[in-house]
Amino acid sequence: MTSNRPDFNFKSSSSTSSRNSDNINTQIRNVDLQPSSSQLSIQSNSWRHSSNLGSRGVRHGSRSGVDSEGFSMSRKEIEIDDDDARLVYVNNPVKTNESFEFSGNSIRTGKYSVITFLPRNLFEQFHRVAYLYFLIIAILNQLPQLAVFGRGASIFPLASVLFVTAVKDGYEDWRRHKSDKIENNRMSYVLVNDRFRQKKCKDIQVGEVVKVSADETIPCDIVLLSTSDPTGVAYIQTINLDGESNLKTRYAKQETLSRVPEKDIISGLIKCEKPNRNIYGFQGNMEIDGKRVSLGPSNIILRGCVIKNTDWAVGVVVYAGRETKAMLNNSGAPSKRSRLETHMNQEIMLLSFFLVTLCVVVSACAGVWLKRHQDELDIMPFYRRKDYSEGQVENYNYYGLGMEIFFTFLMSVIVFQIMIPISLYISMELVRVGQAYFMIRDDKMYDATSNTRFQCRALNINEDLGQIKYVFSDKTGTLTENKMEFQFASISGVDYSGEKTEFYGEEGGYSIQVDGQIWKPKMKVQVDPNLLKLSKSRNDTKSSKDIYDFFLALAACNTIVPIVANTSNPNEKLIDYQGESPDEQALVYAAAAYGFMLIERTSGHIVIDIQGERQRFNVLGMHEFDSDRKRMSVILGYPDSTVKVFVKGADTTMFKVIDESLNLDVVRATETHLHSYSSIGLRTLVVGARALSVSEFDTWQTSYEIASTALMGRAGLLRKVAINLENNLSLLGASAIEDRLQKGVPEAIESLRKANIKVWVLTGDKQETAISIGYSSKLLTSKMTQIVINNNSKMTCQRSLEDALIISRKLINVTHASEDDASSVALIIDGTSLVYILDSDLEEQLFELASKCAVVLCCRVAPLQKAGIVALIKNRTDDMTLAIGDGANDVSMIQMADVGVGISGQEGRQAVMASDFAMGQFRFLVPLLLVHGHWNYQRMAYMILYNFYRNALFVLVLFWYVLYTGFTLTTAITEWSSVLYSIIYTAIPTIVIGILDKDLSRKLLMTYPQLYGSGQRKESYNVKLFWVTMADTLWQSVIAFFIPVLAYWKSDIDSSSLGDLWTLAVVFMVNIHLAMDVIRWTWISHASIWGSIIATCICVVIIDAIPVLPGYWAIFYLASSGLFWVCLAGILIASMIPRFIVKMFMQHCKPCDIQIAREAEKFRNSMEITRSGEIEMNR
Amino acid sequence: MNPVTNGALKSKKTSKKPEYSRFTQQELPAWKPILTPGWVITSFLAIAFLFIPIGLVSLFASERVVEIVYRYDQDCVPEMYRGNVSAYIRNSLTNKTCIGNITVPKKMDPPIFVYYQLDNFYQNHRRYVKSRSDKQLRSAAYESSTKECEPEARFNKSGDPVPIVPCGLIAWSLFNDTYNLIKKDKVLNINKKGIAWKSDTKVKFGSNVYPKNFQSNDLIGGGKLNESIPLSKQEDLIVWMRTAALPTFRKLYGKINTSLEAHDTITVVLENNYNTYSFGGQKKLVLSTTSWIGGKNDFLGIAYLTVGGICLFMALNFILLYVFKPRPLGDPSYLSWNRKAVN
Repeated sequence: MTSNRPDFNFKSSSSTSSRNSDNINTQIRNVDLQPSSSQLSIQSNSWRHSSNLGSRGVRHGSRSGVDSEGFSMSRKEIEIDDDDARLVYVNNPVKTNESFEFSGNSIRTGKYSVITFLPRNLFEQFHRVAYLYFLIIAILNQLPQLAVFGRGASIFPLASVLFVTAVKDGYEDWRRHKSDKIENNRMSYVLVNDRFRQKKCKDIQVGEVVKVSADETIPCDIVLLSTSDPTGVAYIQTINLDGESNLKTRYAKQETLSRVPEKDIISGLIKCEKPNRNIYGFQGNMEIDGKRVSLGPSNIILRGCVIKNTDWAVGVVVYAGRETKAMLNNSGAPSKRSRLETHMNQEIMLLSFFLVTLCVVVSACAGVWLKRHQDELDIMPFYRRKDYSEGQVENYNYYGLGMEIFFTFLMSVIVFQIMIPISLYISMELVRVGQAYFMIRDDKMYDATSNTRFQCRALNINEDLGQIKYVFSDKTGTLTENKMEFQFASISGVDYSGEKTEFYGEEGGYSIQVDGQIWKPKMKVQVDPNLLKLSKSRNDTKSSKDIYDFFLALAACNTIVPIVANTSNPNEKLIDYQGESPDEQALVYAAAAYGFMLIERTSGHIVIDIQGERQRFNVLGMHEFDSDRKRMSVILGYPDSTVKVFVKGADTTMFKVIDESLNLDVVRATETHLHSYSSIGLRTLVVGARALSVSEFDTWQTSYEIASTALMGRAGLLRKVAINLENNLSLLGASAIEDRLQKGVPEAIESLRKANIKVWVLTGDKQETAISIGYSSKLLTSKMTQIVINNNSKMTCQRSLEDALIISRKLINVTHASEDDASSVALIIDGTSLVYILDSDLEEQLFELASKCAVVLCCRVAPLQKAGIVALIKNRTDDMTLAIGDGANDVSMIQMADVGVGISGQEGRQAVMASDFAMGQFRFLVPLLLVHGHWNYQRMAYMILYNFYRNALFVLVLFWYVLYTGFTLTTAITEWSSVLYSIIYTAIPTIVIGILDKDLSRKLLMTYPQLYGSGQRKESYNVKLFWVTMADTLWQSVIAFFIPVLAYWKSDIDSSSLGDLWTLAVVFMVNIHLAMDVIRWTWISHASIWGSIIATCICVVIIDAIPVLPGYWAIFYLASSGLFWVCLAGILIASMIPRFIVKMFMQHCKPCDIQIAREAEKFRNSMEITRSGEIEMNR
Repeated sequence: MNPVTNGALKSKKTSKKPEYSRFTQQELPAWKPILTPGWVITSFLAIAFLFIPIGLVSLFASERVVEIVYRYDQDCVPEMYRGNVSAYIRNSLTNKTCIGNITVPKKMDPPIFVYYQLDNFYQNHRRYVKSRSDKQLRSAAYESSTKECEPEARFNKSGDPVPIVPCGLIAWSLFNDTYNLIKKDKVLNINKKGIAWKSDTKVKFGSNVYPKNFQSNDLIGGGKLNESIPLSKQEDLIVWMRTAALPTFRKLYGKINTSLEAHDTITVVLENNYNTYSFGGQKKLVLSTTSWIGGKNDFLGIAYLTVGGICLFMALNFILLYVFKPRPLGDPSYLSWNRKAVN
């Protein structure tokens, strides 16, 4: 179709990347299997033609696969301007770094060093407005005119908060430093004075030549010079970089690959791009021996990749340390702040406004009072402005009316300072630590397969987990296990999808004997015993032959390289099949399990052990996979010199080249089987074969040789040859492979969906793969309308976005009318389109479209694009976002989202290191959000409101008293009680309840994900609740203050006694208030609430037993009077009554979901709630 | 990454599975009270039935207290000084004796407490309450710790500042009106012993601390003290030093241990020494019996009756609410997502 494309450069070939046979049959499935579905493909260019960039510069987000050498030959030389280029002198680090200071190779992810810790941490801590405020208060209190509290009493609270936070931050950073140190101190071999010597990773410089051995991680970005392979090939695994575990090939240049650096000094000049974030692109050239050689992405190996299947590789460092592409994609760890805390800070601003109001009222009144009594002040016994003790009569501590008002203002700020709850910050830290403890210890979030617990890496966003509205998920390794598994086969119209035996034989799996050793495939495959029996029986029946051919095709028709690995048992070896396509691996392992074991592959021949018998086949030619043909073929020469071509590929293209006349029934049967396989989410491939006659073979061979040696348009020619060959095939069968979803993923996604959380999947994979995973994970359903956006220019993007918007609007109107919310819109968009959409004026349209869609799938997206998509939502809505991923390619997304979750257990650790929370399995997201997130949010939200109430109540009681002291800020409550109030008297219960109280049981929350909505709707903390709480506080303070005042009016009560009464009344009130809201009374809650009341009494008694304090023994006289007890009881009841009435009224008339669920849990019997109740509740 | 993987391999042998305990899984046995309509009504009724009787009892107790209040600050200023009260009160030579009559409204049983009441006197003023030295009061050793007593800390004894004992504004402004009560030409004995708290006389005020240089500065604030009596025995001072909580306050002057019959007329002979005229304060003499609730104060009784009444009312309201608008507990049709579906 496109064979005449003129400029077939390496970039456009990327779509033909040889990662063949990723689920190619998705489209047909969508159309054929789900007639109800309407796939709206809005493409200006079919995706397979366009998938990457024309001649535009490589922007982040483009992706180029592996180009074969043939393609790169025809590639245009890229001229890089010297100014924009980085010049690297090979094996000459001194000269390289002479004129430019290139970054060294050490990395730093920690925030602080020993020296900067104190200032920087304090700086970060004082970002919190409240901390700064309290620092100022503490300083003010040190001025003699304003000294309301003693020095110790004023500094103690702030100092303790700062200390606790600093210790916590220090510990977190220390852990980061530890992992940096491991990274930096890894040893690698570097060429020094013509010999490779060990050098610490952090000391590597740009320009040096490094040598990396098999299974080692690349320490920095290097351009390959030579490898152990004579053709200069190196296999690498990029799991740390993009999460893909399969092998990719990189090539050393012809000009350098034969040189051995120790003997043969390589010197040359590499000119390449400045460091950038594009991990799929690289441009440069190398001048060597006067020749200029171009370098592309296939010549560079990036930091974090692992060399596999290659003994050693030698390369020259071009980017090091923070300039490597992997590190540039780590966009620093910003300190996150939870949404609740942000809101809380707003309310704290309101509280400070109240505070200022109170202070203004007090100072204005004080001014009026002073003015009115101006003439009397000199001798007024309780003021006495004049000091007579010195010779001269002077004013004592009086600085004029203006200053007095000003001082009164400042003093009232000091007295009323706890209006802004400083203790709340320390309580929140402690509560989060407690919540984290329970999350880590939750045995339902323990992953047995990887033996990992849940990890809480960030300790300040626990409560955000209860308000998530968007989940951005990676696919590979996150939704799936990233392990392909052969499931079913249909061979010549017979479906072998019967019962599976666990593994074959006692030993487990098929094995062969080689030189007295047992060779086994590394991965075991479940087998169909029926098929196994048939494959072993060697008779000449048609079906037996078909089976033979089928498995031979599976074993031969691929690009898999078998690698024999040692095990602990010297008599046993494992065969590891390495290749770029995990599907091919799965097929080869399957063939091995049925007795067709591929044991050797070179470019010329393969050796297959067929049922214990070694057979050697000549590989006469191979037509690699490309996305036009969607199939690959291999031409095998049998030992008996017959020649056969085996073809495997997607059913769409395979059925076109199969000769249906040969056996129509078989074809029909196979099609039915394919439908049933793909409907359960399996990835299917069709296999066909044809024997070639001598003449056919000769014609093919001539044209093949011409094509493969052509200098221009080689790929097009080869494709033509392939198309000519691949026809009139006889159908052998079809295979079904499962990219195993992780356990519980569909259920988890279903739960998240019910909880009204939008799940977006962002993957680097192809569109078909993404869609097929979408189906199998129940993300996409057949009822959904799919909108596909897949363009390669800004104009076309704009057009398809507009079209899509119109369609989605229509659909949404229709669904509203029909009340069928199941038929919603799914948006599928690819990375190339995103390149044009993100960071342009089209973003707005994309956002509008995406927010209308129930599901969004983004395919072929680069790491930073993932972050861009998260930012798209984050910047435009108030909704909370969560990103979950496992690879280094997810790091930027994890850091961008409000909450980042890393999947641990796989090899790559970067995602975990960058995440806020880490866990072993995707399905743990459900308990994490629905259970822990819900609890954390409810607890924290209540705790914040309660703390506001608690402190405001105390301040208001102080304030009312000030009105009766001539506005002079006397406190009847002792100074120590004021300080201890928020530290001892009332701190413990709020922390304990904040950690332990549960509004609903885990079972209920898991059964009814809709209950999660309370957090999304901000039901437990919002501005309305804040005002209600404040009104309640006002009432309670009035009761607490005025009942004693009126009861003791005109009596001989002294201020210490009344102060003690207020202290006790307020502490009892706040604890009883809390007790009224506690939902689950465990012994700990009892102990903390009643314990803190007792502790308060003890403290008051102790304070009143100190003879030098004015209130000596007051509490004992007070408590011996009946009036005190009547007062106290009256205060407690009268203050709680309005609250109780409102609460009960709301509970009855406007019950919230949580209330109903609680009642249901307690009063409906268990049968009802699990059976009929469930049906009813999930109506 | 190698060290990491090695570490992971090692730890694989020991499972990291969190050990199960009811605590770590947040499954501690718990009492989960839910306030059902029954409980709501019961609690309202319980409060009502508790508060109404208490309210009645305290009202009754308050009613039984007999209280005589006699304001004398205005009447005790001779006519000629009415225009210039300050000259009268500050002149130590003027005759401050003043005689008045009060009538006992009801029979008063002993002990009858004699109080003086000051109005508009801010004994809780910040400048005032801070101006004392509890250390000095307690022990002779701390005689010179008068830092907190400004501006009444030291006396300038011929150029040499010496500490005042007891120092500070509170002591300086000691109340010094005196009362003598005469019933039918017989002097009623006012017992001034034991009017201060025992804790104060025993611990807080030292038995070895004697007044020194007291009221020696130019401006005299109030009463003087006998320099030969230790502070622990100066009960008037001790009572005065326990600063009142509110600007209108009473302080115990003494106790009468004989009963007063209804309609008895009592003649009050008082020395009107204390200067409240400079700031518009009022002075009152109060004779009062006492009850378990203290002095005469109807407020608490009324408050209790109000709260009890409201609770009774709310109980009725909630009964009506539950009868006419019942909601089955845990009825799933009230769940938000079900309501939405219905709508």
